[in-house]
Amino acid sequence: MTFRACPEEPDILGAAADGRELPAALKTHLASCASCRDQVEAVTFVRGLAETPDAPHQLPDPGVIWWKAQLTRRWQAERAASAPIERMRWVELAAGFASLTVFLAWQWQGLVNLAARAIPAGVTAASSAPQALSPMALLLITIGTASVGAMILAALHRRLGGEL
Amino acid sequence: MAEHAATLDVGNVGAQQADAGARAELLDETEFQDLYRLHARPLWAYVYRLTGNTADADDLLQEAFCRMLATRLATRDDSQLRAYLFRVATNAATDLWRRGGRTRRREEPLTDRPAGAAHDRGGAALKLDMARTFRDLKPQERMLLWLAHVEGSEHREIAAALGLKSASVPVLLFRARRKLAGLLRKKGYGPGERS
Repeated sequence: MTFRACPEEPDILGAAADGRELPAALKTHLASCASCRDQVEAVTFVRGLAETPDAPHQLPDPGVIWWKAQLTRRWQAERAASAPIERMRWVELAAGFASLTVFLAWQWQGLVNLAARAIPAGVTAASSAPQALSPMALLLITIGTASVGAMILAALHRRLGGEL
Repeated sequence: MAEHAATLDVGNVGAQQADAGARAELLDETEFQDLYRLHARPLWAYVYRLTGNTADADDLLQEAFCRMLATRLATRDDSQLRAYLFRVATNAATDLWRRGGRTRRREEPLTDRPAGAAHDRGGAALKLDMARTFRDLKPQERMLLWLAHVEGSEHREIAAALGLKSASVPVLLFRARRKLAGLLRKKGYGPGERS
């Protein structure tokens, strides 16, 4: 839709906004131009509405707004300060997964054997020929378990921290 | 023209912080109290006309001032800070509508409560009807009309506040005024009928 305002409109609206008396030529124009009359009527209405007092309303206490802003600022500063720690949690999580993956890949066969011995059919065989895990495998199992535990704790901490 | 030089760059009041470096400062409590005394009432009237809800108007007012307090301002010029506050409040109101039209649902019913003079029934009814008519406009139309004709904001300030192109503002304003005039005619507020 093409926008076609009356060329006299800016002058007429300017006068209406300032509350100035219109020059005779513009008055004559206004009498014959429906578009300009609409525009003036709308401006007069909005200004009239603004000048009409509202029902009495107590504005929010500026002291509370000031306090709220200070609190928000402090909270944002704390968040900014703890951002590196939050990032380190992700590193910690990634390291846990990586060490677990390495361990599983390296000791897969040993773990399969261990599981086979644990089932009832293998109990006898296991008791007759027990196989000890190497110290390295034990160390990796400990690290893996600790990593998984750390991940669970980190996830729990985040969850609880998010809800607080 | 002097007014043109004084207003300006509402959008840069906060943005100037990056350029101004050490000059940009947070407001202190006294400055804030002074600004609040000066601008809170007109800002509240504006957001109340936008939302039609006193609780939302309070929230938006608080949010605008809180955001201002969190920003390092490169200026202490009243007119620029006022324009900045109106811009922030407009953005906050727009966010409110985008979050699911909460305000539209919560618009308070306009009741026949006179503002000050309880005896002035005719005046109260007129005020009520004026407020209803204004609410029949779309939020953006209300913002445009209020900023242009009550706040006297320039087109580029309005464009910045509403996220529009400057060139679109006169067109949208023209249409909003024409729509409002149509609503007024429908309600029998033609020229000379309202006084």
